[in-house]
Amino acid sequence: MDAGLTQAESRELDQRLQKRQVKEFMNVIGNLVDNCFNACVDDFTSKALSGREGGCISRCVIKSMTTQTRLGERFAELNAAMTAEMQNKGR
Amino acid sequence: MSFLGFGRPQPSSAEKIAAVENELKMVAEMHSRMIKVCTSKCVDKTYREGELAKGEAVCLDRCAAKFFEAHQKIFEQIQTETQNRGGGPAF
Repeated sequence: MDAGLTQAESRELDQRLQKRQVKEFMNVIGNLVDNCFNACVDDFTSKALSGREGGCISRCVIKSMTTQTRLGERFAELNAAMTAEMQNKGR
Repeated sequence: MSFLGFGRPQPSSAEKIAAVENELKMVAEMHSRMIKVCTSKCVDKTYREGELAKGEAVCLDRCAAKFFEAHQKIFEQIQTETQNRGGGPAF
């Protein structure tokens, strides 16, 4: 990914990447909320979360974060392997 | 996945920055999709436990690997099909 950027271009890129990271973070939170709500909440006879639903949500959050960490590691490994393979093919 | 510099005129600043940003965007999107898909396929949706079970963890690892392989296979096939159908620019 070495595009030979100048210092100014590098700074611009860094700024853009920071904005993108914030956006990505919000996206992750959003997906987590959707996922845990869909999985845990289905009783609308009350407007307050039941104990069962609250517990489910807690477990869902913990499990989701563990899952994302694990998948993040696998992704980094697989992405690095794929990039290396593509660079070898390109030669 | 970088197509810069194969005998074309020098890309402008904006193009260089956009290229890097787009590449990272693609990677981030793939990451996000992988998490959604593999969570859906591997993680017990009742969230009875907050801990990732051993079976779920192994499933996630395998799902990540298969996701990458499927992604590559599909990508290559789309390129081939597009060319065979005499169609537009390759990716």
